[in-house]
Amino acid sequence: MEYKSIFHRVKKEYKIYISAFLIVILSELIGEFEIDVGPGMLILFPLFYGIIIGVLLGPDLIGFFKSEEVKAASPLVLVAIAPFIVNIGIIAAQDLPLIVSLGPALLFGELGNLFTVIIALPIALFLGLKREAVGATHSINRETNLALITSVYGPDSAELRGTLALYIIGGLFGTIFFGFLASLVASTGLFHPHALAIASGVGAGIMMAAATTSLSHIYPTYADDIFALGGAGDMLTGMTGLYAALFIALPLANKIYQLLEPKIGRKKKSTVKKEETDYEA
Amino acid sequence: MKLKEWAFLLGIMAIGIITTNLIGFNTPISDSLMGVLILCSIAFIAVCVSKIIPLKLPFIIYCSVLGMLLALPISPIGDFVSEAAGNIEFRAPITMVGALAGIAIGASVREFTKLNWRIIVVALVVMSSTFIASVIIAQVVMNITN
Repeated sequence: MEYKSIFHRVKKEYKIYISAFLIVILSELIGEFEIDVGPGMLILFPLFYGIIIGVLLGPDLIGFFKSEEVKAASPLVLVAIAPFIVNIGIIAAQDLPLIVSLGPALLFGELGNLFTVIIALPIALFLGLKREAVGATHSINRETNLALITSVYGPDSAELRGTLALYIIGGLFGTIFFGFLASLVASTGLFHPHALAIASGVGAGIMMAAATTSLSHIYPTYADDIFALGGAGDMLTGMTGLYAALFIALPLANKIYQLLEPKIGRKKKSTVKKEETDYEA
Repeated sequence: MKLKEWAFLLGIMAIGIITTNLIGFNTPISDSLMGVLILCSIAFIAVCVSKIIPLKLPFIIYCSVLGMLLALPISPIGDFVSEAAGNIEFRAPITMVGALAGIAIGASVREFTKLNWRIIVVALVVMSSTFIASVIIAQVVMNITN
């Protein structure tokens, strides 16, 4: 959104600033909780309350924020996350020898993102999805992937509908999900905290924050290592993710689709109907 | 976004970080001040750099790399940067991100309710397999390279 001046921006956005500020105060006053869930642990911290309160106030639920303000908040997220990422860079600088020594694990850990295609695409086809499945399973589907799929397949494509669906689900639940998933996988006791930290760098800063914060609760003595490695993993995914998606994941997804769709795909037409996911975006 | 707007908005985020550090971690405002100033200044430099360098990289990569370079022992201000930023808790800046992200996705609830259950299952598989495959590979490579 373009504003004529800072004054105009403040006039349009002051409600967002004040609300975000109050949400921060409220979230911090609530504080942190640990809840045992089966073998894992759900670690609740202010990041989650912020997301939940923000969504509740949105136009689809309580309606305190109008659609216009929701749109205006999007670029502000990028500004807010910048100091966080800088801080991770600074922590990583102090832990650089460890990051270098774990370089191979970090680099190969990136391949985990490609396994998503191999595991999730056949399941999606089995469930009856068609071309949406290629968009949905080619990556974790964050902002850069939206842009990529739009430019490769076009704004009206089935592939983009799959990507958008994942984008929405990831935005609403991804952060909390990764926080819980990290602690659940940690509870198996099979993995070193360093490996868990590397896996936390999935390529979305806010999800990495949730996973590493949960892990730091479980392994307090490794906290700094976890943040540094999670940050490094996230940075690597950020740098390579787009190219890996374009040159490896998408061709691989298309290959698997050609191979498996005639065999395990359902005969009936696509289950994600166009009118159901016809976004105005 | 213009540079002036970035500076203004980073100022707002700075207030949010100081608040989190105060309420969540009992860090006095005076102790947070220099650290927050450093974080937001480096973020601002990253914005400038990303506008100059023609490489097509996500903006946050510049934040991460700049923060790291400036904090390295070989950097002339390395100790200063690390020490000042050390007063800012790791997750202090993220509460503000959560609040804004929550507001920003507020309009996707209705879209979510229109989604088919199958795509929701696929989403859970995608997120889980990304993490689990990475952790397995990282662990195996760590065992091999020790």
